[in-house]
Amino acid sequence: MLQELLAHHLVFVGGKGGVGKTTVAAAVALAGADRGRRCLLVSTDPAHSLGDIFEREVGAEPRQLESGLWGLEVDPDAEAARHIDAVKAQMKALVHPRLYDEIDRQLDLARYAPGAVEAALLERIAALMGEAGAGYDTVVFDTAPSGHTVRLLSLPEVMGAWMDGLLRRRERAGRLSSALKHLGGGRVQGDDLSLIDAARDQPPDSRDARIHDRLQARRRTFLVARERLVDAGTTAFLLVVNTDKLSILESRRVAGLLDRFDVGVWGVVVNRVLPEEADGAFLEARRAQERVYRTEIDRAFADLPRVSVPLLDSDVRGAAALRRIGSLLES
Amino acid sequence: MKELEKLRELLAEFYAAPYRGAVARARRDEDDLFMLFVYAETMGVPNPATYYTLELQPLLLERFHDWHLRIGMEHSPLDHFRCC
Repeated sequence: MLQELLAHHLVFVGGKGGVGKTTVAAAVALAGADRGRRCLLVSTDPAHSLGDIFEREVGAEPRQLESGLWGLEVDPDAEAARHIDAVKAQMKALVHPRLYDEIDRQLDLARYAPGAVEAALLERIAALMGEAGAGYDTVVFDTAPSGHTVRLLSLPEVMGAWMDGLLRRRERAGRLSSALKHLGGGRVQGDDLSLIDAARDQPPDSRDARIHDRLQARRRTFLVARERLVDAGTTAFLLVVNTDKLSILESRRVAGLLDRFDVGVWGVVVNRVLPEEADGAFLEARRAQERVYRTEIDRAFADLPRVSVPLLDSDVRGAAALRRIGSLLES
Repeated sequence: MKELEKLRELLAEFYAAPYRGAVARARRDEDDLFMLFVYAETMGVPNPATYYTLELQPLLLERFHDWHLRIGMEHSPLDHFRCC
């Protein structure tokens, strides 16, 4: 399974909270690095745990974890703060210093507005998606619990549509401006407000051009992200599922939602399956229960590659334990 | 010859002037609609791209005053952002 999975530039690992997404994502990325591919492991879950698995500090910038493997934990709050601070600085360059407090107040509210952190996260993910195939051979995303992931996948489309709309308005305004020029609007001072506006703007065209450029750059980022996402040759979405009712239900729901956004699930990892050698009457009863769920998983994802990873006798910590998981994913 | 040139200009003006007003108004309406999109969220209209249009606000700031006057609000519609 690993060989084909690692042929993709982008691997998203998703599933219900606590099923072992981070472990699987880390094992996949490490296996890729061991095969000589430059891999970047990205955690987008607000409750980061990459650092715990690799037993070292992982920050918001790529840091080498093993030979050929880099890792980072996205910090959306810091990203949003940086974006807002940049806007603040631009605004302050334009207004009287007496208004600085007003600007701080308004923009600090924007930082905590619903969606701001998500937008910052999406922007970072979109930028990192561009790294795949360029700076890194494969970028593996350890995603936040699935509802969040699906929303992130849908955002490029929504945002793209919005940006398209805004751009169309700008282009229409631009056409009207040039029509106005042909009608002699540039020479004559009309009584119309927008003629006055145009004369006062210093210089008028450069600002419109800057607005247009910003919108265009945003749109391009989303367009590229979306294109890569829906391209099955580039992106693989790996679902991690446990043998329990809720995790199966959640995974089926996610698969359905992904399908709506034209993103197919590439494969399924059934994690923490009771090992054969575990004995005792209690575990025997659990195993009987588990068989029901495994049948259910086999039925739900019949046409997808599936691999089982047994419950291990100890926590997965460090590269050696991850390689063990990697070899289990191999089959 | 000079007179002819002048007459030509006057005639051109005679035909162009009415259209110029209409086009200028259309252009202004476009700008106003765009302002509304960019400032929508601050006025309570959900805008999925607020985070991204935020960076356009500084570019439009100098137009903000004319805009809120034109759409019939004497003072800035944003409590926390007084421009006048």
